Amino acid sequence: MLRSPKALLILAIGLVVFAVALLGGALGEAFGLGFLGAPLAAIQIPAESLTSNPVIGGFRVTNTMLATWIAIVALLILTWRVRSKQTEIPGRLQGIVEVILEFFLGLAEGIAGRERGRRFFPLVMTIFLFILTANWLGILPGFGTIGRVETISEIEHHHCDKYEDHDSPEYKDCISHVSHRSVQVFEGDGALAYQPFGSVGSNVTIEEWEEHPQQGRQAGILVPFFRSANTDLNTTLAIAIVAMVMIHFWAFSTIGFGSHIGKFINFRGGPIALYVGILEGISEIAKLISFTFRLFGNIFAGEVLLAAMIFMIPLIGIIPFLGLELFVGMVQAFIFSMLTLVFAATASVAHNGDHH
Amino acid sequence: MEALGINIPGLITQLISFVALFVVLSALLYKPIIRGLDQRSERIRESLEASQRAQEEAARSQEEMQDQLASAREEGQQLIAQAREVADRFREEELAKARADIAAERERAEANIQRERDAAIEDLRREFTGLALVAAERVIRRSLDESDHNELIEQVLEESSRAPSRN
Repeated sequence: MLRSPKALLILAIGLVVFAVALLGGALGEAFGLGFLGAPLAAIQIPAESLTSNPVIGGFRVTNTMLATWIAIVALLILTWRVRSKQTEIPGRLQGIVEVILEFFLGLAEGIAGRERGRRFFPLVMTIFLFILTANWLGILPGFGTIGRVETISEIEHHHCDKYEDHDSPEYKDCISHVSHRSVQVFEGDGALAYQPFGSVGSNVTIEEWEEHPQQGRQAGILVPFFRSANTDLNTTLAIAIVAMVMIHFWAFSTIGFGSHIGKFINFRGGPIALYVGILEGISEIAKLISFTFRLFGNIFAGEVLLAAMIFMIPLIGIIPFLGLELFVGMVQAFIFSMLTLVFAATASVAHNGDHH
Repeated sequence: MEALGINIPGLITQLISFVALFVVLSALLYKPIIRGLDQRSERIRESLEASQRAQEEAARSQEEMQDQLASAREEGQQLIAQAREVADRFREEELAKARADIAAERERAEANIQRERDAAIEDLRREFTGLALVAAERVIRRSLDESDHNELIEQVLEESSRAPSRN
């Protein structure tokens, strides 16, 4: 196959594009090239807020909330599209939705039995659909790359406002600490910013910028308007809390309050049973934490990976990783929903010893 | 917690968002779609059963029809055989009757012929006797020589042959 001129041409073009991308990125920057690259995006774990001041009380709209709502709206539009044309003989859209629902209903009924499976299904399905939609939305272009500039004064506020007295030595210390941070120089006033090609070298420290500010430009950190919803621990923790609350609610309602609580606080079985019960209780906390951080960690790592690839090999470096992220996004959605189902199924069964 | 970005307002917002999505999807997407799926499978099951029943029905009626056909054929065969037998018998009878008729007719005809012949013979004899008598009379009346005798017999015979027969 490689002998045909067409394949050779494609191979040659591919190699040239790869070489150009490599030289245009961070690697080429070391040799004075880097004409395509952008600086490594400011990576931080907390979601960035889109408003510089809180909306109500301590509430700030963050970019992950925006992504969450977009995912929800996307699912609602899907619902509306399917339901407005629902017929006995399904069309394509209804068909695919039915296939997905049927698949998960089958799993739920297979794992938890017909009656309980039907009870667990809506939550399991919602977890899967929401996480999948959010993850896949998160790798769309524009997520994490287009936003506004968080200006230097905002950065200073953000970091040092915990010291209320602006004349105190702690505050001054903090400001001088912050002033060593690296910021990026953007064109325009910073209300709408993105990373331009060849901007690898446009990083300055806050100190440098304040000494030599440039007219018509804005220094600061790029705050993307959209950031994948599950790169925020609040989102994953919220889903995990809902899942765990529902798991225990189902457990209480199916095997009874005493029977379920007896799994964790067991005085009748002696000290070992008591100890095992406490361990069970700890494992429930561990489930919550592992739910939260597994999803967060995978998706956050994916975002960092994509950012690093954009930095190192611009244009083409992320292509294979986009595929990987599609896969990871689906796998994580599936894992979260399946674990919820399995935990719900096991929690709503009385322990052998407890039931007479 | 703050370093990880976990904060109460953000958490509550995401909780409300997710629970709202959960409730809305449960009510508006899963329930109707699952109901539709259940209805469809129910309908498919029903129609499969109905077709099964119809198939059985068809098989049974075909069997019945086959039976009827077979009995009808047998009956027809019987009728034909019967008819043939009747026809044979009829023909035999007719033939026998015709034969008898013909035989009787011939007998009668033969009898007729016999009678006619007898009558003709009788007539001829009578005629001949009469002629012989006339000849004898004439012979006796003349009683002459032999030449006269012969002449006379010749004359009688000539007259009788000239005279038309009565038959």
